[in-house]
Amino acid sequence: MNLKLELGYIKISDIQFSNESKVENGVLYVNPEDIINLVKEDENIASCAVDIARPGESIRITPVKDVIEPRVKVEGPGEIFPGVIGKVNRVGEGRTHVLKGAAVVTTGRIVGFQEGIIDMVGEGAKYTPFSQTLNLVLTMEPVDGLRPHEHEKALRFAGLKTAVFLGELGRNVEPDEIETFETLNVKEGIEKYPDLPRVAYVQMLQSQGLMHDTYVYGVDAKRTLSTIIMPTEIMDGAILSGNCVSSTDKNTTYHHLNNPVIHDLFKAHGKTLNFAGMIITNENVYLADKERSSDWASKLCQYLGVDGAIVSQEGFGNPDTDLIMNAKKIETVGVKTVIITDEYAGRDGRSQSLADADPLANAVVTGGNANMVIHLPKLDKVIGHINFVDTIAGGFDGSLHEDGTIECEVQIITGATNELGFSKLSAR
Amino acid sequence: MVKEIERAGIPVVHICTVTPISMTVGANRIVPAIAIPHPLGNPALSMEEEKVIRRKIVETSLQALETEVDKQTIFEVKY
Repeated sequence: MNLKLELGYIKISDIQFSNESKVENGVLYVNPEDIINLVKEDENIASCAVDIARPGESIRITPVKDVIEPRVKVEGPGEIFPGVIGKVNRVGEGRTHVLKGAAVVTTGRIVGFQEGIIDMVGEGAKYTPFSQTLNLVLTMEPVDGLRPHEHEKALRFAGLKTAVFLGELGRNVEPDEIETFETLNVKEGIEKYPDLPRVAYVQMLQSQGLMHDTYVYGVDAKRTLSTIIMPTEIMDGAILSGNCVSSTDKNTTYHHLNNPVIHDLFKAHGKTLNFAGMIITNENVYLADKERSSDWASKLCQYLGVDGAIVSQEGFGNPDTDLIMNAKKIETVGVKTVIITDEYAGRDGRSQSLADADPLANAVVTGGNANMVIHLPKLDKVIGHINFVDTIAGGFDGSLHEDGTIECEVQIITGATNELGFSKLSAR
Repeated sequence: MVKEIERAGIPVVHICTVTPISMTVGANRIVPAIAIPHPLGNPALSMEEEKVIRRKIVETSLQALETEVDKQTIFEVKY
């Protein structure tokens, strides 16, 4: 029996505050009291303000922690964000409704120094996909004395719970469009497409700790061995972000839910290639872990007998070594690789792009140079706190000018050089 | 920095966690460190245990400095 997931897209054209939270005629109505009550169930959160930020409005959101798309499971086993918000149960089958066009954005006092900026208009808006979503923004402050890890966790759960609450509003709404994703088992895939090259997707998950974390069915990815996962499980929230860091090239939970590598592989499946499976592997801080995880990723590619693999990285710096190890070891077992990364090539773009390299890593797709300097205008409204701009990555002493304009590296923008290709940078 | 100091005629040991990067950038004497957030210590250990591993890393590094090498060499620390 095959794994089949239908995504029902409910197209959201606006978000408005209302006395009743509901989805009606494509409008997401939100009673802010519903959200505040939900968020304040956690006694570690002292305050929560709810704002709406629409595309084109003169609004800057910072420091951004996570972005989440509201979804709800309407048929099939499991619930969204299994093992975290939903109970532990297999997901990835049946039907899931998506409030397409809407997003939950979490902000508040800084937790980690690499949180980002989302501008809804102007120069900065060009670099983030979340200038194009209708954002319900939660500005949350922790109780006094809360340690950073607990602070991060409280905000992460608040964002996820809010997204699940909003997703639930779409349970009984007829979707505008339905897209179906079907995963054949290994045997059927080979029988059905005997002449097509078999391609695997190897997704590297940020797992360095110190608030560089990712969760898989609720398990901290740094405590996992590389494994096989169904791509549709990810569309139901099997993987989510615990990253407060590296805004430009971390995968927010929104990125995971909408992973474009998976979507594009499904589009090509049965036409130019056979999407043969997906492997997740981590990026830990011990060399032995890097060796072990890349050994396992390559071993699984070898076992699946694929012809090619696409490897996407998350973050930068020492994960460049995990990336190169994966490419090298997967190539060594006879599987062609393409890696997706981004670059820290200096402001003039002339420095070495990655911290590590190998001749076998000879096919690269880049999300762009994160060191590129950009200038952001003053915007009318700030949601969150503007005073952290000088200290978050991509900012520097004097980044925030007295007139409210900002000079910074593009890495300050949430999702600017995303390594799943979920961005707008292009050389053209 | 490792390469520039060696260019001035002084041998260098590079203590680093991700030794493949050290190899890529061309260090000649490499000693593996513990982990990226805590290269020369391990907060999971007691102070006494930590002192032992720290001393071993330093002693291995000093031995590496005295050792003639004709190619890039990783000196494993014997814990």
